[in-house]
Amino acid sequence: MLRRFRLEEPDSVAQVSELLGRFGDSAKVYAGGTELLLAMKEGLVRYERLINVKGLNGLSEVAVDNGTICIGALCTHRQLETSSMLQQKLPALVKLEQNVANVRVRQAGTIGGNLCFAEPHADPGTLLMALGAKMVAEKSSAKREIAAEEFFVDAYETSLEADEVLTEIRIPTPGANSRSAYLKFGYLERPSVGVALALTVNAGSISDTKIAVGCAGPAPRRVAEAEALFDGKGTQEAMRNLPAAGVIAGRAAEAISDLHGSQEYKEHIVGVLLKRAFQSLVS
Amino acid sequence: MQFQKEVEISAPREKVWQFIWDVDRFISCVPGCKDAKTIEEGKRYTATMVEKVGPFKVEFPTMIEVIEREELSRIKAQASGADNKIGSRMKVDLDVSLRTQDDKTILGFVAGVDILGKLAALGHGIIKRKADQVLDEFAQAVKQKLEGDS
Repeated sequence: MLRRFRLEEPDSVAQVSELLGRFGDSAKVYAGGTELLLAMKEGLVRYERLINVKGLNGLSEVAVDNGTICIGALCTHRQLETSSMLQQKLPALVKLEQNVANVRVRQAGTIGGNLCFAEPHADPGTLLMALGAKMVAEKSSAKREIAAEEFFVDAYETSLEADEVLTEIRIPTPGANSRSAYLKFGYLERPSVGVALALTVNAGSISDTKIAVGCAGPAPRRVAEAEALFDGKGTQEAMRNLPAAGVIAGRAAEAISDLHGSQEYKEHIVGVLLKRAFQSLVS
Repeated sequence: MQFQKEVEISAPREKVWQFIWDVDRFISCVPGCKDAKTIEEGKRYTATMVEKVGPFKVEFPTMIEVIEREELSRIKAQASGADNKIGSRMKVDLDVSLRTQDDKTILGFVAGVDILGKLAALGHGIIKRKADQVLDEFAQAVKQKLEGDS
């Protein structure tokens, strides 16, 4: 049963930040509520106050600003999976969003809520990392951008300060020869492994590779060491480096043995997904 | 969940043994452990374990019972506690061993940790990782305290 709480209805991000600063751990930002309310109903977390941000203006749009794709933190997964602009510029993100949980979750759940809750099995963070996304964090007096690599600290932990609010996700628009893919594996709605790959292919040569792995461990991780095996290489040579890159990425996932599979199994699946992602982008 | 750890301490076995029985100093090495009290010297103790994974917090008032004690070499203990707020219980079977190697002491732990109730919804993997971190920090803190003294 959901315990009683007070619902705050701020009008601006500055007010949300001020409320977070004032009430600290006893208050939590509430957007879609698809994860937070479940945890509260289960009695796993207790908050005296929920700060409803759903009414805030200007945080539910998808737009392109000066070569950067800007996604408002209050955009629902459903909005993203049906965005024609994203379909054109970031089809991998659209495909990912189409497969987040189920349609009820996608209809209510927001991208910002998903990122801030930092549930280890969530999909979006991993791809956003490979896309070079930055998270815009605001508080009453300041605004900063946090690279996706620095945003995810641990399971259920982000680098947002106590009074900071995630307002936007900014993704550089991929160039004409850039490609990206996100593949996941698991049963039911919780993936046990997710792999994201983004790269540019110019005249048979690969550059700007970004690899990220998620779901298997506590938080999404970028795998720079494996990227080096692709950058500056021809597609054939990169193909030959796939097994080695898979092993490195598997280790970087910090996979945890659980009901979804053992650590070794998940590490192996990382390699398989990386290979499939690479083949789907470079063929 | 089973955990096994060994930590090498540059201090004689007697000193490590004494340290273990100095409840206040020993408990200060356990991350998140507070309010340690001796109920019966050498046999029963109480303490409160507070742990946190992101927004999820647990507070287990814990009873620790020493079941076996072999002077200078082994302690077998059991700890159990319940967090009624979130409806979860914790049980730990702990086997602590000491042996001498050259001029050092090897302090070993084998811990069987069971977490029951709603907290388990966080997932076995996450809880195991947290418990592992706590044990690691604890082992390092014991090492630092004892070696810092010499």
